[in-house]
Amino acid sequence: MIALEVKGLRKTFGGVVALDGIDLAVGLDDIVGIVGPNGSGKTTLFNVVTGALKPSAGSVRWLGEEIGGMAAYQIARKGLVRTFQQAMSFPALTVRENALIAHEHGARSGTRAVVPDALLRFVGLDGREDEIAGSMPFGNLRRLGLALALAARPRLLLLDEPAAGLNDSETEQLAGIIRRLPGLGVGVCLIDHDMNLMTSICQRLIVLDFGAKIAEGRPEDVLNDRKVMEVYLGAPT
Amino acid sequence: MDLAKTESLDLPQAEPAKGGSVGAPRLTWMERAIVPAGVFLLLIGLPWLHPGYRLLSLAVSTGVNTIALCGLAILFGQAGIMSVGHAALMGVGAYAGAILARDLDMSFWAALPCAALLAAAVAGLVGLPSLRVGGHHFVIITFALCGLFTIVLTNGGAFTGAATGLDIAPIGTVFGVNFSKLQNLYLLAAAFVLASIGLMRLVMTSSYGRTLRSIRENETLAAALGVNVGLHKIVAFMISGAFAGVAGLVQVYFLQHISPDLYGAFPSVYIALMVMLGGPRMLLGPLMGAFIVTFLPEVLNLDPIDARIAYGVGLILVILLLPGGVMAGLAHLYLSCRRCVVRS
Repeated sequence: MIALEVKGLRKTFGGVVALDGIDLAVGLDDIVGIVGPNGSGKTTLFNVVTGALKPSAGSVRWLGEEIGGMAAYQIARKGLVRTFQQAMSFPALTVRENALIAHEHGARSGTRAVVPDALLRFVGLDGREDEIAGSMPFGNLRRLGLALALAARPRLLLLDEPAAGLNDSETEQLAGIIRRLPGLGVGVCLIDHDMNLMTSICQRLIVLDFGAKIAEGRPEDVLNDRKVMEVYLGAPT
Repeated sequence: MDLAKTESLDLPQAEPAKGGSVGAPRLTWMERAIVPAGVFLLLIGLPWLHPGYRLLSLAVSTGVNTIALCGLAILFGQAGIMSVGHAALMGVGAYAGAILARDLDMSFWAALPCAALLAAAVAGLVGLPSLRVGGHHFVIITFALCGLFTIVLTNGGAFTGAATGLDIAPIGTVFGVNFSKLQNLYLLAAAFVLASIGLMRLVMTSSYGRTLRSIRENETLAAALGVNVGLHKIVAFMISGAFAGVAGLVQVYFLQHISPDLYGAFPSVYIALMVMLGGPRMLLGPLMGAFIVTFLPEVLNLDPIDARIAYGVGLILVILLLPGGVMAGLAHLYLSCRRCVVRS
């Protein structure tokens, strides 16, 4: 079943076209990857879908309802939750307080409520509930970012470069966590540059270039696509 | 989401913390209780220590400021929003009290909810357009509010008493207690101070306080997790406005004469100074800040110009050396002393 449906989505900043008519559809049991060179509009797409930016044109439908132009907090409360490229947290608060904030706000209905402590255990932060978030090393902040998004009871999670800055073993652990999410009733749409990670966990890849979708399909097909190879490696002479 | 079945999953452990203990300093309940208990006894017991008239009126001024500061501490300490227009909100409470007493013959007690609600409403009206921009813009807009408020009062004719201001009769006798006596008025102010600190604690320890802290810490993340940032900023400003309104009302019955210059930009900056000096995130920070700023010129025998210089230097020192204010500095000092004692 299609949960998130984006049609003809455009976003312009003055004369710069960041998104040039994007179409995409994501289901609640999908793991969809979005790849593309720097500046191809991946993060802008997340920003527009989750309400951080207003769309210039086109529609964003979530569970059949038009959400384009709604405020970020309203969209989050409908179960469409995102994480950020930078490892974001509430730095001066404890890990438990961080999780409680997401737990007390977040989606109003849908999936069952989970106690924050169970979520912290799920991402591997058990035993650190009383630590000050800002004093934790980077890898733990990434875990916390994921726990916060999950504590908001999402039905679809948009992950913006969750593996950025992680080492190989941490990336492996992250992949393990992401793979489990559809089974827990959380769909995943993620952006990342780590192609090993993307091809191993995504059922479907979408490639963006200059704000337009240039390819979509199974990872092995997409990566052998001529246009995609041109974008990443340059046109054959 | 059902995480029950993930319990058995072989999940890797997080990285161990670097260095020694992290997190908030831990205090036993005795250590937590002793300072507030001492302050409580001193606040209530002060009149029985036979302070002079001068000292007691300074204490009432401290109390008036503390009430407003508790509200500003919620706004600045919890939600991270600074206002340098709080004197104007105090002025709303004070003028409301004076005008309601003059025109409607309203008593102090009847005017109390009116002053709080009116100041909160003014805060809401100012916050509605200005909190959308936030940060420095909001500071400037609240500063402009003070200027505007003074102009309105000065040009208000007989209604606001223009530049001369308004007079008001004392509270008088209620239930056999004569509040015209300074001693009794002090006890009334002390009761309001205790109630304000109690309310502030209630906000700080509630989940609402946590919501405000999330806005202070990371507005973008808070919104992405479903926190209605815009609404809670305005509500926090209205709560702080209500405190300021009550403070203004107590002030007008204490001074019995008010004029526009009491509620202009300078007093507002003083209030902002007090909250930063005392410690905006500490329960007793507002009391400490009001105490220092009110009593320092008296203790050091400073004339008003010297006092202003002292405040400026003091503020710079606090920002550089004690970013959490005097109360947070004292708490840290105590903790490091205790650590030394425990180690040796």
